[in-house]
Amino acid sequence: MIRPLAGMARIGLRFQLAYRSDVIMTVLALIAQVFLLRMVWTAVYGGSGQARGLTLDALLAYLSLANLQAFATTPVIPRIAHFRIRTGMVFFDLSRPTGYLSQMAAFQVGHTFGGLLMLAPAVPVVLLVGTITPTAQPLGYVATLSLGYVISVMMSLLICVIGFWTLETGAISLLYRLVSHFFAGTMVPLSFFPGALGVLAEALPFKYMGYVPAAVYVGHLSGGQVGRAVAVEVAWIAALAALLWAVWRRAHRRVVINGG
Amino acid sequence: MIRVESLTKVFRRPHAFSGPFGALRTLVTRRYDERVAVDGVSFEIPEGEIVGYLGPNGAGKSTTVKMLTGILTPTSGRIEVDGRVPWRDREANARAVGVVFGQRSQLWWDLPLIDSLRLVGDLYDVPAARFTGSLRRMCDLLGLDDFLDTPVRQLSLGQRMRGDLAAAMLYDPPILYLDEPTVGLDVLAKQAVREFIVDTNRAGRTTVVLTTHDLADVEALCRRIILIDKGRVLYDGGIDDLVTAYAPPRRLVVELADGETRTFEIAGGTSVPELIAQVAAEHAIRDLSIEEPDLESVIKQIYAESMR
Ligand SMILES: Nc1ncnc2c1ncn2[C@@H]1O[C@H](COP(=O)(O)OP(=O)(O)OP(=O)(O)O)[C@@H](O)[C@H]1O
Ligand SMILES: [Mg+2]
Repeated sequence: MIRPLAGMARIGLRFQLAYRSDVIMTVLALIAQVFLLRMVWTAVYGGSGQARGLTLDALLAYLSLANLQAFATTPVIPRIAHFRIRTGMVFFDLSRPTGYLSQMAAFQVGHTFGGLLMLAPAVPVVLLVGTITPTAQPLGYVATLSLGYVISVMMSLLICVIGFWTLETGAISLLYRLVSHFFAGTMVPLSFFPGALGVLAEALPFKYMGYVPAAVYVGHLSGGQVGRAVAVEVAWIAALAALLWAVWRRAHRRVVINGG
Repeated sequence: MIRVESLTKVFRRPHAFSGPFGALRTLVTRRYDERVAVDGVSFEIPEGEIVGYLGPNGAGKSTTVKMLTGILTPTSGRIEVDGRVPWRDREANARAVGVVFGQRSQLWWDLPLIDSLRLVGDLYDVPAARFTGSLRRMCDLLGLDDFLDTPVRQLSLGQRMRGDLAAAMLYDPPILYLDEPTVGLDVLAKQAVREFIVDTNRAGRTTVVLTTHDLADVEALCRRIILIDKGRVLYDGGIDDLVTAYAPPRRLVVELADGETRTFEIAGGTSVPELIAQVAAEHAIRDLSIEEPDLESVIKQIYAESMR
């Protein structure tokens, strides 16, 4: 049934638009971040043309894109869900004929859509700063990015559900945000991560939100690598779906509603 | 038809640690705190009845309502709502019940009221024509027109509560659980909410379970009450019967000429004129009145007895 989900997505969109001032700050932060990264990395490269197979131009394009993606898709539902669990408002979400997780996912999709609308003015600036040119692999980019988005929404749903155990997850949310941004490679591309850190970053799913699609866009990943990335993304989605289902079933049984 | 049998809810939750890493310790601890919120409650409510579900703070009323809606799973006992077990058949149950919690709102705080109402229409898949009709009725009965486009955070408590009532009723559920729907409202707003409840009950034979601390609500709306304390049923029956059964004696209140006030219990069989004559013979009386037992004094007495 599509109508309940469309309704929730509309609320997510309206919610995003209701916080316009937040978005203005986000746009400013995004532009500042992209500028700073450009300065730092230009200095790091000095005069050398390439590092780990990336030219400075490709690196700057990559970083700008990865940050644009990360900013546009920052999940909001953990914050919403925790607030509603803490205040007991989650009662109403749970009393609907539509499942809780699909409501939250729909809210997130609507919210992301609103974020894209409001980030639109920043896009030309970011493209300019990153000297981003059209990609040679549009299909691969869209595929890896869309699947990466699904992964990101599923991970945030998992964080939402953890709230039913801890009932207090501000710290966990913050930690998740830091970890996910770092391992998405929004500051440093994953191929620059040293040793064990690189292995870890490669193994974790966060890279699909930032590094992988952006690297596909600038051509750092190409051909068979793109196909393999897509396959692993699909596997992640299947695994996360199973995990979410199992965790949610247990959470559901132990739901308590705060306040009366 | 709501049927509840030996319903019990024990809250068992990990001991909450405070201090640094408290959240983490809470996450891994094996220490549990237990609290019996509902303790063997049984009752039946036929279709179309308005029942007052009363009890002092912490009696277990809200917990019962949460189980009736299927959100909380009972520790033991049975619930059947129109033949369904609420927590097993959540979806069908969700469509059949509307809930108002006076203490919290289902409306989206930052969005205009109408957005939350539309969302309810979508979530319960109310056909467009029926939704428009329902919304019209709500607006007329509850006077929502003035603030439909106002963000909920800018509404007064009474306006918000009316919005919540509308949201709970937009899809015409045959059963309504109202947990303190008049808390904090002024006299007129209370009146509007009561009239809305009566109207809904009459129009659609809606079954209403009403929790409130305002006994005027109860007197205006319910013929039957279920009184609970510490999770157990203390009384289940008509209000009139309760007042007769538990009625404290009537009292004669006398104000003496020197300003002092005295009260005399009117024991059963006493003739009131004789009592007055007797008091008048001994004192100079400025004014007198007779206190009839009412629901409030009865409930006060029952709460006081169960405290002991
Ligand atoms: N989530 C919870 N965890 C632990 N104990 C709880 C929880 N919710 C309620 N309780 C306890 O259960 C008992 C009943 O609470 P409940 O909210 O049902 O009372 P109530 O009758 O609605 O009271 P009030 O009139 O104050 O709203 C209380 O002692 C309360 O402390
Ligand atoms: Mg309560």
